[in-house]
Amino acid sequence: MAHVADSSPALSRSAPTRSTAPKEPRVGFEGRMMTPGLILLAALSILPFLALIAMSFSRVRLLGGVRLELVALTNWIRFLTDADMWMSWLRTIIYFVLTVGLEMALGVGIALCLYRVLRGRNVLLSLLLLPMFAAPVIVGLLGRYLTDSTFGLYAWVLRSLGYTGDILGSPATAFAAVVLMDVWEWTPLIALITLAGLSSVPQSVREAAAVDGAPAWMTLRYIIFPAIANVLLVALLIRSMDAIRYFDIIWVTTNGGPADATKIVPIRLYETAFRFFDLGYAAAIGLAMLAFSIFIARTFVRLLDTRGLTR
Amino acid sequence: MSTSMTPRSSVPQQTRPDQAVRGNGHGVVAAPPGVPQSPLEASSRRSRWVVALLLAAALLWTLVPLIWMLLSSFKNRADVTSATPQVLFAPTLDNYRNLFTGSNNLGPYIWHSVLAAGISALLAVCLGALAGYGLARTQMRGKKHLAFWIISTRMAPIAAVVVPLFLIFRGIGLIDSIPGLVLAYLTFNLPFAIWLMSAFFAEVPASLEESALVAGCTRWQAFRTVILPLTKSGLVTTFVLCLVFAWNDYAFAVVFSGPNSQTLPIAASQLVTQTGIDWGQLTAIGTIVVVPMMLAGLAVRRWLVTGLTLGAVTGE
Repeated sequence: MAHVADSSPALSRSAPTRSTAPKEPRVGFEGRMMTPGLILLAALSILPFLALIAMSFSRVRLLGGVRLELVALTNWIRFLTDADMWMSWLRTIIYFVLTVGLEMALGVGIALCLYRVLRGRNVLLSLLLLPMFAAPVIVGLLGRYLTDSTFGLYAWVLRSLGYTGDILGSPATAFAAVVLMDVWEWTPLIALITLAGLSSVPQSVREAAAVDGAPAWMTLRYIIFPAIANVLLVALLIRSMDAIRYFDIIWVTTNGGPADATKIVPIRLYETAFRFFDLGYAAAIGLAMLAFSIFIARTFVRLLDTRGLTR
Repeated sequence: MSTSMTPRSSVPQQTRPDQAVRGNGHGVVAAPPGVPQSPLEASSRRSRWVVALLLAAALLWTLVPLIWMLLSSFKNRADVTSATPQVLFAPTLDNYRNLFTGSNNLGPYIWHSVLAAGISALLAVCLGALAGYGLARTQMRGKKHLAFWIISTRMAPIAAVVVPLFLIFRGIGLIDSIPGLVLAYLTFNLPFAIWLMSAFFAEVPASLEESALVAGCTRWQAFRTVILPLTKSGLVTTFVLCLVFAWNDYAFAVVFSGPNSQTLPIAASQLVTQTGIDWGQLTAIGTIVVVPMMLAGLAVRRWLVTGLTLGAVTGE
């Protein structure tokens, strides 16, 4: 945004030297406004980041005050040679692709349906959005209740359809269950964002297609999807980054089990750090996760940039 | 407008008559006045049923767990764990009563949650408004890098932040304290608030400040009296979303809190014991945790898209 105010004479009272060179690298009013927030943010992010690096090269002792003993690359070598760890990454990627993929597909589907509803759309949307605000821990615990093999509502439904196994007790179904819990919670977000995108597609274009006799799928493929591609991209990437972050649901439902079936990387990191108190190794895993998420965030910002969506 | 897109000049004018046509609530894709029935109209009757069916399924999938939680919280012990689902039952308040009497009284947990989430959201909004304004208006070199750094702290995996923070907090004695939780929540709320508020400030034309300066305001006065009031919806949205994130947090609370600072999600998870789970109490806690945030979230629904995409979609 152009800094019009800088060249106006009225400003010369408060900042006489700035009137000619708005780009000079000194702390102006904007800088002063940013200072408190950025200092706190730096303290909350740079210090832990440095600590994380130091920890990843150390053995961390917690008894009698915090102490770091340098162990060079031990944690990293362990990280790279740990076969269980690689399985966790694989599981994480599968979990990630399944949750985000299902959420995108279902969310876009719901949005397309909602867009065709004229009366009561707002009420419908409000009801569909509710899961987003539920605490993931509660979602997980509620999921346990609903899938309990003796009194769970969903287990009862499945039993009447012929499935009698213990849903959270066997690997494949437990994995499916934690994926679906995440899908339940976050599909509404995709639907909400997509609906906003759909509302900006000019109605006249859709009508022109209809008058020309274009079948619905063609309108969808050649008119609607290109028009909302940017919005979908934002939705996809926002959801991707949150999907890497969260782990509460799995932690309270299966705790990584059964037989490690749901042990994604964040779960492994947590138990390494706070069950076995192997904080050095946990730090190495954490740095790897951080690198992965920054890579995705970079891609995100670059894509938005080339499409002119950032300011 | 029916969605949260802010009306901007880039939205083509064609959407206006469409709004009017849609207003009469007839036809799925109504033809503009004057044009005879569009070919879509014929097929739309069939597809209308499909749409209705799909939405009904989506509603069912979305609402059944929530309704079930609410119902179960009013059931007695036998009905909660009945092998056949009980839809008709004699409602009781026992579960809620048990939560507030007896050994693990929920009162302190609620208080901790309100304090930690509330203070964190408030601080995030205050600092986020200042920094967001600065970020939206600054012309400094490297602005993009700064913005990326801010957002990358928000995107950092929780588990990777918790581990070093645990060490630091242990060193300076912030474990098991409300300030510790507030700070922990700020690690994700502050970058979120800065980025989001900057999206809201960018919507406010810079010419408004200019006029205020001409009228004799200092830049701070212009910010306080002219610009800030214009972003009231942004402030409220930011506060509510920060509140929801902090209130719902479990990962930080489980590591940093102790008897003096445990929050509601911890209380819920503590009902899971070796001897089993009291599902009646659990569904009651679930209701207490979830319902206020749903109401808060719906209150800012108009600005949710801006909020949850950090403004990226509004800018379109």
